[in-house]
Parts: sequence; structure tokens; C-alpha cells
Amino acid sequence: MQEDSWVFAIDVDDMVDGQMKPISLDGQKIVLIRLEDEFYSISNKCPHMGCPLSKGTLKNDVIKCPCHDWQFNIKTGQFIAAKEITVTKYSTKVSDNKVFVNLEGGN
Amino acid sequence: MKKVVIYALSTCPWCMKAKKYFREHDVPFEATDYDKADEATQQAIKADCKKHGEEMSFPFVIIDDNAVVGYAPEKYARLLKL
Amino acid sequence: MDPEVRKEQLKEMFLPLVDSLGYKLSPDSEIVDFLFEQEVQIEKEKGSPFCPCQGLSGEREHDMKLVCPCIPFHREHYDAMKRCWCGLYVHKDVEDPDLLPQISLKEFKMSKK
Repeated sequence: MQEDSWVFAIDVDDMVDGQMKPISLDGQKIVLIRLEDEFYSISNKCPHMGCPLSKGTLKNDVIKCPCHDWQFNIKTGQFIAAKEITVTKYSTKVSDNKVFVNLEGGN
Repeated sequence: MKKVVIYALSTCPWCMKAKKYFREHDVPFEATDYDKADEATQQAIKADCKKHGEEMSFPFVIIDDNAVVGYAPEKYARLLKL
Repeated sequence: MDPEVRKEQLKEMFLPLVDSLGYKLSPDSEIVDFLFEQEVQIEKEKGSPFCPCQGLSGEREHDMKLVCPCIPFHREHYDAMKRCWCGLYVHKDVEDPDLLPQISLKEFKMSKK
């Protein structure tokens, strides 16, 4: 994992538990999710028809697309109905109260 | 003559093939396109599919009281005793 | 939008998805073309490219499982037929889609018993 592919995303305090936030990092559309004290990031584009997942709903660790209700596990990126289909998932880390996303990501 | 009812969708190629089959075999049938039907007819079709223990998968062909779901010429022939 | 353009867009979006599930477009290009044309029309009327061969109930939970490609929600049933209900997609090893009959869900469930 390359050191320089970690990009600052947001301050930890700018997100509350259960919140989803669409952000653009180096031109990549990502949805950042805070679940308790953990942060997760996946592509904001649903692999089905490209709808913004950040406009959907979050229940525990499952995000539901607003367009056709396709559901993905935010920790693995896997589509609940068929694990062969995935939404791109990025590694996330917290350092000095700041959230960083690794854009080299991929599942 | 057996009574033949076909529930179909206007967008479904297998429904068109099913209707063609009955026409070609000179078997009169009553056909309704579910997607073009009024609310009451849709509800009735929905209930009928359910009564036969099936999903609304089209074509839905009922020969007398036997439901054949899908385009299945051999099954139609068997029920029609052709 | 030009329906021909939308047809290609739907195809481009759906092919990688069905590919990862072990399916491909039916070799019957006439049926494929017709079905995508219907999906474009259905999307225009109802907002989503629903299956052209299955009925919508009006209940979101039911109907969303019929948006193309609906294979993930009917996997076992379709895998047994080696095709999806409308025949747009078939298993990758299928060469002659005409040999694949439609088996209703009820028949499929009974065959499993």
C-alpha cells in the first residue's frame, strides 16, 4: 500500500454515528460512512445503474441504494443478494482525529 | 372445446409466441395484457395467478382450470389433446 | 433520450453484472434487441427498466426485484433454467437458447422436493 495514496477526507468530529457523506477525492466520488467509531468508504456509484448510494439509507452495516433498493455491505462492498457483485471499497484510517481514505482501494 | 385464457404483457415476446401458437392451432382464446388492463382487471389477474400458486410470470395460460406458466407448446398440446 | 442510445447504455451497464453471475446475453440477437427495446420503453413509462415478462404488483419490495438484471433475486430458479425468465440472459455455456424451457417458480419448487 503506497503511503501517498492516503488522502485526507474529513475531520472525525464532522461526522456523527450513522452518518453518510458524499465526498469527491481526487475526482473519485466516494461515500464516507461513520458507524460508531469506525469509518468506511465505498464508491458513491451503485454498480447497478450508477445511482448515488449516499442518497440511500443505512441500516447497521448495510447501505440501500435509493433507486432500486440494491443493498451492499459497507465493510466488504458485497451486494447482499449476490456476493459476486461488489461496489468499490476503499481502506480508511483515522490519524490525529482526521479521516484518511486510501484511493488505491479496490475490494 | 376447452376454454383457454391467456394473461400476457404487451412487452413480452413469449406471450406473443403463445398467442400465435393458439391461433395457428385454431384454438380460440381470451387474452388480456396485464400491463394495459384497468386496475380491477389487474387485481383479478393477480388473484387468479395466486390462486394457481404461481407468480405473475407471463405468458400465463389457463386451459380449463390448468395453468401453464411460460411458453410451453408441448404442455399446451397435451392439455388440448392435440 | 434517443431510445437506441439508451438501449446501448442499459446493455453496457448490465453486461458486467450478469457476467459476474455466470450469464451472458442470449445468442438470439433478435430477442435481445426486442427485450432491450421494451426495457427502454418500460423505463420511460415506469421509471425503471423492469423485466418485460413479469408482472408488477405495485408493491415496491416485490417490484424492485424485477428490475433488470433481476437474476440476483431469482438465482436458484434461473440457474435451474439456465436462463432468466424473459430469456435475455442465459448461462455462459448455452449455445441454443431455444432448448431452454421456461419453468414456473411453482414447478421449480416442486422439482426440488
